[in-house]
Amino acid sequence: MIGFIVKRVGHTLLVLFCVATVAFFIVRLAGDPVQQMLPPEATIEQERALRASLGFDRPLLDQYVSYMTGLLGLDFGQSVFFHRPAFEVIMERLPLTIDLAVAAMAFTLIVSIPAGIVAAVRRGSATDTSVMASVLVGQSTPAFWVGILLILIFAVNLQWLPASGTGSPAHLVLPAITLGLYSAAMIARLLRSSLIDVLGEDYIRTARAKGLSGFKAVTAHGLRNASLPVVTVVGLEVGSLLGGAILTEQVFSWPGIGRLTVEAITYRDYPLMQATVLFLAAVFVIVNLVVDLSYALLDPRVRLS
Amino acid sequence: MSVRELPTRRDLFKLGGLAAAALSLGACASTKPSTGGQGAAATALRVSLASDATTLDPHKQGDLPSMNVLINVFDTLTVRDTSDQLVGGLAERWESKDDKTWRFHLRENVTFHNGEPCDAAAVAYSIERLIDPATQSPIVELRLVTGAKVIDPHTVDLVTKEPDPILPAKLSLFGGVIVPPKYIKEKGDEFFAEHPVGTGPFTFEQWQRDSQITLKANPKYWNGRPSVEQLTFKVMPDPSSSLAALQSGELDVVTGLTPDAAQQLGDAPGFKVVTSPGVRTFFVSLDTEEGPLKDKRVRQALNHALDVDTLIKSVLNGAAERTPTLIPKQAFGFDASVQPFQHDVAKAKSLLAEAGHAGGFSLKLSSSTADKDIAQAISGQLAEVGVKAEVSLLDPATFKGRLVSDNRKALGEMYFVGNSGWTMDASSNLQSFVRHDRRQSRWNNPEADKLIDTEEQSVDPDTRQEAFTALQKLMIEESPFLYLYQASILYAVSDRVQWKTNANGTLAMATAKLAGS
Repeated sequence: MIGFIVKRVGHTLLVLFCVATVAFFIVRLAGDPVQQMLPPEATIEQERALRASLGFDRPLLDQYVSYMTGLLGLDFGQSVFFHRPAFEVIMERLPLTIDLAVAAMAFTLIVSIPAGIVAAVRRGSATDTSVMASVLVGQSTPAFWVGILLILIFAVNLQWLPASGTGSPAHLVLPAITLGLYSAAMIARLLRSSLIDVLGEDYIRTARAKGLSGFKAVTAHGLRNASLPVVTVVGLEVGSLLGGAILTEQVFSWPGIGRLTVEAITYRDYPLMQATVLFLAAVFVIVNLVVDLSYALLDPRVRLS
Repeated sequence: MSVRELPTRRDLFKLGGLAAAALSLGACASTKPSTGGQGAAATALRVSLASDATTLDPHKQGDLPSMNVLINVFDTLTVRDTSDQLVGGLAERWESKDDKTWRFHLRENVTFHNGEPCDAAAVAYSIERLIDPATQSPIVELRLVTGAKVIDPHTVDLVTKEPDPILPAKLSLFGGVIVPPKYIKEKGDEFFAEHPVGTGPFTFEQWQRDSQITLKANPKYWNGRPSVEQLTFKVMPDPSSSLAALQSGELDVVTGLTPDAAQQLGDAPGFKVVTSPGVRTFFVSLDTEEGPLKDKRVRQALNHALDVDTLIKSVLNGAAERTPTLIPKQAFGFDASVQPFQHDVAKAKSLLAEAGHAGGFSLKLSSSTADKDIAQAISGQLAEVGVKAEVSLLDPATFKGRLVSDNRKALGEMYFVGNSGWTMDASSNLQSFVRHDRRQSRWNNPEADKLIDTEEQSVDPDTRQEAFTALQKLMIEESPFLYLYQASILYAVSDRVQWKTNANGTLAMATAKLAGS
């Protein structure tokens, strides 16, 4: 098991190193922050002077080496537009992104698990059909449309909830539903199909035969075995929720990592773009690592192979 | 980020239109505007910002969102008032001492929010700090200023290396902000950028990044205490969300509306949409150095082919005014006697035939995705005279990158572009597009170069006006651009607000009044 963990962590670090390198070079293909900072009427001399004072006129390799050395000390460089350390800027947005991700995940699980179980147990019934129809709608409506619709109904017409912004738990409700809807639909569908497979297994019939109630057989024996693929997907969804939901954050003016990423790209803020890309990659890779390790715990076959 | 999160900005705007339509339905249902979702005080004014301020250090920003907040905390030496006149700010009056010196006489007894006096030394410090390369300022207007000299505690001279006739106008926004020397020296640049102290009508209260900025009325403001007690800028990047917030009573002012959104929002009860004249001019730059556009008859023909009035009516819902050249009508230098091109398809066709292009030709018309509709409409009108302009859309940041790149052909034969010219002097409108050695110029005309030199280097208004008049005539004759319009500023305000912006569309809220306050 230790060997498995060490190998996995090594992979993770290697991936992050590669991401940092790719991010460094790729952001430089997108254009220059100095061009975005200055108005079009700036003279060439003014542009050169600003570029030099920001250090972007140094040889690329030189910049790369100082960037990588900085990373070792968790120094992501100074954001060009915010005039502050990029790491600090990201950390400032992180709590709100976590709030939103946790709320969205809570919504996802509360809705998807009962829906998935009911649909699987009553397979083929009207209930199943209506759950599956809802799932289809949930999976195929884009977040920005759902968001605007929810704002219209609950903020503009009914005036029950705030239209956007942050500050109270009420502010969290609409963005969490918007963000969680897709995951909820996907997980309900996955749980349904996985549970249907499991419910056909011999051991469920045995459980029933030895006198267990239908509910108990499904939850105690069925759900545990059907949970493996679901755990993987839930893990990856956590990564994607933490990675920032660009559109949801945009629609609800939620100041999280997603919007920061958009800002960094709009401004072509090299250090901040590098830092957000690396951050997103790190979240995914670490969540993946945790999922892999928990898989190994849940299913011994994984660590043996 | 999962795949579902990735539709383009364009899709978002398209949906914005749909949402705005739905919103107007919604507005009918909820006719009573609430006084504010969170129990806002009667004298609290809430204004939307499309993006957050990048920094609150006025010398380190060059973007309108930051400036819109800062203009309420700081003062500038001169001010462009709501009737677009250049009036005194921290400087009561000014005069040109000689070609290269402007003298400013400062208002007395003005203090910063921390009690520090705002005197000639503070002005000199601010100017020197701005032009110091170590400040890394993106503000470029003061490029000719070499320094500031304190004459007495209330008089200061700004010295330029070449004559700068419009320096006072350039000091009405970005470059003219005065900052407190002692405070910055004591607390440091970083602290100042988070806790700004100015002389302005509002004092800084709190900044929740990417969410909101709160300011409080400055009771000791030299120009009288603002009637609004609290001013909050709420960051709302999505246009349809900010309109929804206006309708649900969470916002009082939403600026930067698109013509589409404004029209669909209509005049629902509780708020109104205001159309106010702006100075941002839009035009198409032509590559006059090669290809069919080298021939001025072709360039004239394309101008005749355009029906600008129809473009304004159908694409912009009337929220613009035709400009004969690149100069808005409020700017110094504008000559009303210069007539715009007449829409005349027959004449356009005969000019094209004369130039040997009777069968038409094809070229590329680049624009930012934000201007997609107008670019496509232009392409459609050009097609009527046989010119096939293929529209190439670029995201705004890429577009700007190419616009300012060293390669003047980076955007192809034609590109649609806007130019703000907030100094309201024609010099700013022509500055980087006309003289052959300027960054965005694609026109080499010695006579135009000479006229630019005259208006840029003379401080005599009559000489400058003559040069501008000649330039406008020359620009019509030579047609190095397709001339279009100056866009109006569209914003929505709740009925409880009385406020007016100037032609620059800045959000100076010192004069805003709330019903009942």
